[in-house]
Amino acid sequence: MEISDLTVTATLASLVLDEAETQKLGDEVSRMLSYFEKMSEIDVDGLEPTTHALQKENRLRDDRRLSNEAQPDELLECAPDLEDRFILIPNVL
Amino acid sequence: MSDFEKKWSEACTQPQTLKAYRKYVEQWEEQIGSFLEFDPLRSLEADIPQGPLTGIPFAVKDNIAVKNYKLTCGSKMLEHLVSPYTATAVKNLQKAGAVMVGKTNLDEFGMGSSTDNSALKQTNNPWDTERVAGGSSGGSAAAVAAGLVPFALGSDTGGSVRQPASFCGVYGLKPTYGVVSRYGLTAYASSLEVIGVVARTTSMCKTVFEAMKGKDPMDHTSMDHTPSGKEVKTVGVLKIEEGALNPEVKASYDSTVERLKKAGYEIIEIELPTLEYVVPAYYTIATAEASANLARYNGIRYGHAPVYAENPTDLMRKSRHEGFGDEVKLRVLLGTYVLRSGFQDQYYVKAQKIRTAIRNDVERWYDKADILMMPVFPTPAFHHGSSDLDTFQQKQADLYTCTANLVGHPALSVPSTMENGLPVGVQFMAPPFEEDRLFQVSSVLEKEFQAPEAPGYHTDWS
Repeated sequence: MEISDLTVTATLASLVLDEAETQKLGDEVSRMLSYFEKMSEIDVDGLEPTTHALQKENRLRDDRRLSNEAQPDELLECAPDLEDRFILIPNVL
Repeated sequence: MSDFEKKWSEACTQPQTLKAYRKYVEQWEEQIGSFLEFDPLRSLEADIPQGPLTGIPFAVKDNIAVKNYKLTCGSKMLEHLVSPYTATAVKNLQKAGAVMVGKTNLDEFGMGSSTDNSALKQTNNPWDTERVAGGSSGGSAAAVAAGLVPFALGSDTGGSVRQPASFCGVYGLKPTYGVVSRYGLTAYASSLEVIGVVARTTSMCKTVFEAMKGKDPMDHTSMDHTPSGKEVKTVGVLKIEEGALNPEVKASYDSTVERLKKAGYEIIEIELPTLEYVVPAYYTIATAEASANLARYNGIRYGHAPVYAENPTDLMRKSRHEGFGDEVKLRVLLGTYVLRSGFQDQYYVKAQKIRTAIRNDVERWYDKADILMMPVFPTPAFHHGSSDLDTFQQKQADLYTCTANLVGHPALSVPSTMENGLPVGVQFMAPPFEEDRLFQVSSVLEKEFQAPEAPGYHTDWS
């Protein structure tokens, strides 16, 4: 894999790679991708892709709230930065 | 309750035995490091309901939520997260009377075969501390093998319950996809993963599975369990190519076939030509799903955040850069790549079609055999530090286990023999909802060979 290709992929995944990581992970990604090439050997024309192991139909449910034991304040407490009941992030502009 | 279960039910509930039990756990933990958090008292504050598991302590892999316990997933990203809710599977066990005593170590987000990818702790195999306990549910398997708990929960995306169970000499069940609710299991590869059980005996494995299964409104992919009740007569044994297994694992495999014959089962030889495509298809699908599932870690609502970030984009990138380990980054990168526009047909869609081919390949044997047998892993527990099996080889070695995840069928790892001081297991796989067939054969084999006791193992705290 070209380094530019790796950098584009990393940006799409919101990852920043330092120089050492670019080298190490770049090699490993390339190794796995060439391994994935094995899939081109097998003829699967006419087969439907499996997206769910067993379920064939789509499942729908009523659009209503299910109860959850986690309380809103407990969920807020998990945020790294909080002011009153607001989650803080750095300035957008 | 059996004597074994009765002894365990008293470990935490009697004050004098609790003290001895805690001491036993502490001594073992210095050697094996299976727990990230161990605290039976927190669960004992509440009343224990009467049920099939009353008083029996258990551990939970640290990617499954238990209220007021941490949920680290073995990652720096979630090192300080305390879960505000409990997974349905755990709740069901608590309703059956089981007592949750701690959270076990794992490969970061369940990604790995050794537990060496945990960012928080090293876990060693109780049989040889120079070796890994397997992974990703290595902490759970090591804890059960050392007798720190009689059973523990793990999660199995590509073999993460069965492989460590085999490495540590205990039973490891991956149930049918969807039969156990995934609500509260931290998502890695949603179409493949299930919550599974590591246990000391077949009977305990079965009791736990029965207690935790069932359709759950909180998981829309969950299903009712509808078994056929069929008795196993014929076992389809996978033909092993020359050199595919380490000689010790092959010897162990062959002795299980002999035991099955002796027990009166009809044996037929089976072949799975799609087996050579299982690992590439599995890693394509698993990493694609992982890249989407792990997009949620952005340092805003929970998880690691950097000391300083200039803007929201910088916040996300720094959080992920600092919070994720190498293996997680590798899989997220791979998954993002295979899903990029222009590559989807070549990788992701192709892998999903191969998934259909694998299912057809496996299912055709169920006309001739009630249950299928195959190895768990080509080698016994390997050494720390990837010296005898590098991380790429570890992935290739997932071929026998990830088949069951791709097709969604239940599979059980059963202790088979001891080879040069290390336990080795074999694997059985059955049609969807037919966990009972796995337990039938496992119980028969258990009469010949029980889960071996690691030196120092005991369960008597009186």
